[in-house]
This record gives sequence, structure tokens and C-alpha cells, in this order.
Amino acid sequence: VNERRISVPGQSVQLPVLTQFLQSFWSAAGLPPDEALSFELALEEVFINVAMHGAPEGSVPLVEVRVALDDDAVTLTIEDDGSAFDPLLLPAPDVTASLNERGVGGMGVFLVRKMMDSIEYRRVGTRNQLRMTKYIARQVSHAPER
Amino acid sequence: MNVRLESLGPVTLVIPQGRLDFAAAAAFQAQIEQVLTGPLARPVAVIVDCASLSYVSSAGLRVFLLGARAAKRAGLSFAVCSLQPAVRDVFDLSGFNRMMTVYADRGVALAQTASGPA
Repeated sequence: VNERRISVPGQSVQLPVLTQFLQSFWSAAGLPPDEALSFELALEEVFINVAMHGAPEGSVPLVEVRVALDDDAVTLTIEDDGSAFDPLLLPAPDVTASLNERGVGGMGVFLVRKMMDSIEYRRVGTRNQLRMTKYIARQVSHAPER
Repeated sequence: MNVRLESLGPVTLVIPQGRLDFAAAAAFQAQIEQVLTGPLARPVAVIVDCASLSYVSSAGLRVFLLGARAAKRAGLSFAVCSLQPAVRDVFDLSGFNRMMTVYADRGVALAQTASGPA
């Protein structure tokens, strides 16, 4: 298992730091670049939710991100020490609503659920933990033996 | 993210390049509002050409939603075109591909826009 982790304050200005962290893990692991985007999206949507709503006004939660590659599965785990909140309880948005009836509330988590193969929330002590896994179709990268 | 604007007669092309994430969303929204209601000659139609847009999140979708709504209020036609695979996925999953006018490429978008309101 190849794993890396990073901790940042839960403030939206930290998003580029996290995106960079994920991208560098991705290229170091030799994973297909196209597959990175669904993880970048998952990281953004979950992190921004925590940054915007994760703690009472005036306090900043600490966010820890782990990304791990195990065979063909990538698991992204995001933990924060903010208020207890299970994003999987958010109602799904109405994706058939017309332009005038639309909001994007809940859309981020909805997209993440669609893009990941599994997603689970746990409250671990004083932390929220969201664990997302997706199987990556890797090109056969083994060089043919001569 | 960079945004280029091109005017083709009554049509304004808005061309975002790069990643439309939370960090880029506010500036992109301001640019679209500028096109729709700013001091320059108001276009009849706005086409957002996404050929160089590699990524969009829900924060980016919100800008498309607000832009389409503002255009409708102003009586302009609003469309997007040339969605790249990752962006197309997000439009498909969110239903935005059915909620707003999406053209395959710029040529089709311009032809359709010239032949009447979308």
C-alpha cells in the first residue's frame, strides 16, 4: 500500500494545496491522469463543505487528507475535527429541475457519490471521517519480457 | 483559470481555460456578469466555449446556472459548447446537459445561434 497524508486548516484558500498534494501523489504512483479528476472533485467538494460549514463561526477545523493506493483501488480519506456532520444524509438534488427551479445545494456530494465506487461516513471520537474508494482501470503497464 | 472573450457580431464567446473550481468560480462569475450587463455593447447571444476547460466542480456549475439564468432574464440566448470528457461527465450527472443548451462544438453553436434563438 502506497499512502500519503497532509493536514491543513479548513479554509477554502487551502484548496490549491490539497489539489497539488493529490496530483503529486497521482503522478508519483503512475496512475492514469484522466482518473485523477474524479478524486480532485471529491477532494474539493468535501473539503469546501468542511471549510464553509464545518465549524462554528470564528473557529477553523483541522482537516487531514489521506490518499492510498492498494492494488487497483484508490482510497481518499478526509477527516476533520469540526461539528459532527454526515454529508451522506444530505438530500439528493433534483437533477431534472428546470433552470428557474434549480439550486446547486447538495450537488457536490451527489457528484461525489456518483463518481466513487464506495463512500462511507463515520464519526470517530471527535472527528468526522469520510472514506471514498474507486477502482482505477489501469492500462497494462508491465513491459513485455524479452 | 484564464478567460478569453471573442466578439463575433452579435455573439460573444466566453472561453474559459483551465480549471473552474471553487477558487476560480467568483472571478468567472464576475466576468460572465460583465458580458451580460457590463458597459460594452450587449450581445444577443452568449456561448461559453469549453474546449479548453479541463475541470468543473459544483462551484463551477453554479456559475453556469447563474449565468444562464441572468441571460434569460436579460433576454439573451445562452449556450455552452465543446465539453471535454471530465466536464461532460459533470454536466451529464448533474442534469445540466438537459437544463441548458449544449452544442457539440463551436461551429454548431454558432450556426444554431445564427439561425434563431436557442
